[in-house]
Amino acid sequence: MATIYLVDVDQTPVYTHYFDISYIPSTVFFFNGQHMKVDYGSPDHTKFVGSFKTKQDFIDLIEVIYRGAMRGKLIVQSPIDPKNIPKYDLLYQDI
Amino acid sequence: MAPPERCSVCRQTFFCGRGHVYSRKHQRQLKVALERLLPQVEAARKALRAAQVERYVPDHERCCWCLCCGCEVRKHLSHGNLTVLHGGLLEHLASPEHKKATNRFWWENKGEFQMKEKFLISPQDYARFKKSMVKSLDSYEEKEDEVIKEMAAQIREVEHSRQEMVRSVLEPQTVPDPEEGSSAPGSWKGTNSQVASTSQQPSYVDLPPAPELDWMETGQPLTFIGHQDTPGIGNIHSGATPPWMVQDEDCSSGNQQIGPSYEEFLKEKEKQKLKKLPPDRVGANFDHNSSTSAGWLPSFGRVWNNGRRWQSRHQFKTEAAARNKQQLHKKKS
Repeated sequence: MATIYLVDVDQTPVYTHYFDISYIPSTVFFFNGQHMKVDYGSPDHTKFVGSFKTKQDFIDLIEVIYRGAMRGKLIVQSPIDPKNIPKYDLLYQDI
Repeated sequence: MAPPERCSVCRQTFFCGRGHVYSRKHQRQLKVALERLLPQVEAARKALRAAQVERYVPDHERCCWCLCCGCEVRKHLSHGNLTVLHGGLLEHLASPEHKKATNRFWWENKGEFQMKEKFLISPQDYARFKKSMVKSLDSYEEKEDEVIKEMAAQIREVEHSRQEMVRSVLEPQTVPDPEEGSSAPGSWKGTNSQVASTSQQPSYVDLPPAPELDWMETGQPLTFIGHQDTPGIGNIHSGATPPWMVQDEDCSSGNQQIGPSYEEFLKEKEKQKLKKLPPDRVGANFDHNSSTSAGWLPSFGRVWNNGRRWQSRHQFKTEAAARNKQQLHKKKS
């Protein structure tokens, strides 16, 4: 079972800075206190940027993360269709 | 006995002079060997009239074994990054040394006369091949030029469409989003101006990201909250320690003991002891270290008893009760 926490970025500046959250909504996944990375096909593997297209996408992603984490993996491959993953521009400052 | 001679076709040494070349086995071996070589020669002969030019590939380094000369011959002719197919083999087959070697080979091995002609190429044929080679080289160059021109046109088209898209996007971006604040439109315009400047220079290398266009198209509300970039402090991408792993200042490592303290450990030991059954009890897990009195093991049996254990137990108990009664009496008095 996954627990979902809704966090306000203004109230957690330390974590916002650590995870480099520039776009909201961004979803960060943890398992047993360990941060889980997922390869969505986007440039950033540390979090899911944007909203999920369907609930089933979200459920599938959680399941894949759970299965990978139970096997001891720290990074898993996302089961979501790449066209359902929101695209964003990775803006670099002053470049 | 004739001196030993090695036949390269049969790969054997014979002691009966050159008589064995007339044997059936030798002729059969010869036929097989020639049949192996024949397809390659035929393929080369086909290329005589229409030489084929191709881009160089390491596979073109392949060699072919010429049976008559007993040497390896490069099949294709390569120069730079172009290859003429079967050029090497044709050159060899047309050479006078090969003709001599073939004649000698046929004489020594007594091959069929008609077959010999198949393995030779006349100088006229070779001249014809050279002409066709020149022609095909020219046509290949023309084709390459065409391909390059096509690619250039395609790249120009894509650049043009990209510029159109950027221009169309710049127009609606006049009203700043109230949520984003001042940083976002400034950064967006900044990147846009840079994008516009790079588009002036023709770049054939990497096209600007298509994700930029998709973001506009989806219309999904992704709010930009500013760059999380403080130069001094690291973040997840630079591999800094996570905030939850950072040691607090007031907790030193000496104070923090994990596990039970000594008192707790002793308590556990006591509990474990109690877990065991009373030491005086007879049975499993009997604590042999505990001291026992003389009357500990109730042996109801007498020495010369017969009958069941309960009888002797009953007897023992009644006697014990009588003994106790007597003792009580004694105490009272």
